[in-house]
Amino acid sequence: MGGFLLRKAGAALVVVFCASVLVFVGVRALPGDPAIALSGESNDPAVLAAVRHEYGLDRPLPVQYAKWVWRALQGNLGLDDRRLPVAHTIVSRIPISLELALLSVLVGMVIGIPAGVIAAVRRGKPSDHAATTFALVGLSLPHFWLGLLMIIVFAVDLHWLPSGGYVSFGAHPISNLEHMAMPAIVLGTGLSAVLMRQMRSSMLTSLGADYVRTARAKGLSEWSVVCKHAFRNSLITVTTVVGLQLGALISGVVITEVIFVIPGFGHLTIDAITARDYTTIQGVVLVTATGYVLVNLLVDVVYSLLNPRIRVSGGSA
Amino acid sequence: MSYVDVAPALSPRARRRRILRRRFLRRPLAVVGLVVALVFVLGAILAPVVAPYSASATDFSSVLGPPSSNHLLGTDELGRDVFSRIVWGSRASIEAGVLSVLLAMVVAVPIGLAAGYFRGWIDTVIARLTDVLLAFPFLILAVGLAAILGPSLSNATLALGIGAVPALIRIARGEALALREEDYVRAAVANGAGELRIIARHVLPNMLSTLIVQGTVLIPTAIIGEAVLSYLGLGVQPPTPSWGVMLSDAQSYLTQAPRLAVYPGLAIFLCSLSFNLLGDGLRDILDPRTTR
Repeated sequence: MGGFLLRKAGAALVVVFCASVLVFVGVRALPGDPAIALSGESNDPAVLAAVRHEYGLDRPLPVQYAKWVWRALQGNLGLDDRRLPVAHTIVSRIPISLELALLSVLVGMVIGIPAGVIAAVRRGKPSDHAATTFALVGLSLPHFWLGLLMIIVFAVDLHWLPSGGYVSFGAHPISNLEHMAMPAIVLGTGLSAVLMRQMRSSMLTSLGADYVRTARAKGLSEWSVVCKHAFRNSLITVTTVVGLQLGALISGVVITEVIFVIPGFGHLTIDAITARDYTTIQGVVLVTATGYVLVNLLVDVVYSLLNPRIRVSGGSA
Repeated sequence: MSYVDVAPALSPRARRRRILRRRFLRRPLAVVGLVVALVFVLGAILAPVVAPYSASATDFSSVLGPPSSNHLLGTDELGRDVFSRIVWGSRASIEAGVLSVLLAMVVAVPIGLAAGYFRGWIDTVIARLTDVLLAFPFLILAVGLAAILGPSLSNATLALGIGAVPALIRIARGEALALREEDYVRAAVANGAGELRIIARHVLPNMLSTLIVQGTVLIPTAIIGEAVLSYLGLGVQPPTPSWGVMLSDAQSYLTQAPRLAVYPGLAIFLCSLSFNLLGDGLRDILDPRTTR
């Protein structure tokens, strides 16, 4: 187990390192001269040269990269366009996006897992077809359209929920949940579709197994058989799906935050990209890639705990 | 005298095509998906014929107008016909959706195939590079690339295509890895067939069905991706219409004319749903375990 973890962690570290290089080079490839933006749109070559020297932009690229990585490891991601520390902004925004992501996974589980179990148990019957169709619809539904529709119905027409914005949980828990309700439902719907499909498939597999037939023959109630397997399968299913859909979840969080004007990490990403705030973009994309790799690692670990066969074969794609 | 009805002899390939066609027609959802997808594609190609107005023809006397005999779906905030803009906008979505996937396949399949078939150091290098690229979620990658390249439809298509490459490489690599262990490949190797011949005659054709399905299912992701990029202002630039831009514009008028948000979104939804249904149907009929 230890060796497996070490190998996975090592691979993750390499990926993060390469990703950081990619981010660094990618941001340098953005059009526009950062010195112009940093000097307040000055055209004076002397001013630009001074700005470049101050920000170390005139040093060779590998040196710039090394300085950036060294500082990043110490938690210093530089200052953004408004001279605010990027790391501080990122750290303050991550919990918001995390809350949205967790609530969405919760919504997805609440809808998707029971739907998948029902579809598997009543395979071929109308409820199975209904659930499968619902899953397909949920997959094709663009997040931002569903978000706009929900805003129209629940915020504009019914005035039940606010159309956007954010209130912190500490300040006002109920209002926080009101603000998060629609975004979480929007994101959770897509996730529930994938969860439902996966759950149905894994339930069908395990309900068809021989030892289940034995259990039924011994007289165990259908209900207890289904429940036991549903519970066991749901853990693996959720882990797998979250692992596979992590990218989609992150992207979904980004879009949903823009639509509902939630000041989270995703919104920060888009703002930084549109405003060409290079320092912030670097920091944000680095954190995203690192977080993504780390969560994937976590998912791998949890998955190996649930399924010992993976540990032995040390398998990955 | 008994009369034996002998069906005309068909080549194996024609027989398989007939089986596939029959299986497909037995799946109403897949047929619906194909028909609707074709409607969208044809609508995009024949936009000048289908759309009653041009995309930018403004009519300031009927701003935010409801559906009427003149304007099937009403008018937007600049008096432009919504239905026409949706038809013209389908061009951006279909072009970005289909072309980006084709681009991704052309780049990813050879790379993935090489990695999976030849293994060794080629495989290690390609697999590690793919892992690094996969560390960035698809949309983040596409948004970042679109920002680097600059906002335009072709750049958005390029960004979406490049964003889809890592995942496709992985799929192609997996397929090639599995296929090289097949008996007929080993037999061909034992018979002394050259590598290129083996790849062309045995590996690639057998990967085709998986690739077709993956490609078809990737198209809705690309269509939605284009809409997202346009919504964020990183794709199609005004006055060229795009469903994403229409949604972004509509958000300012949700109280006055919510239908402006409904129609473009509905178009995106139906378009991606149709390709999803088509892809699901194709996956079903091409699965060797399918019996009907």
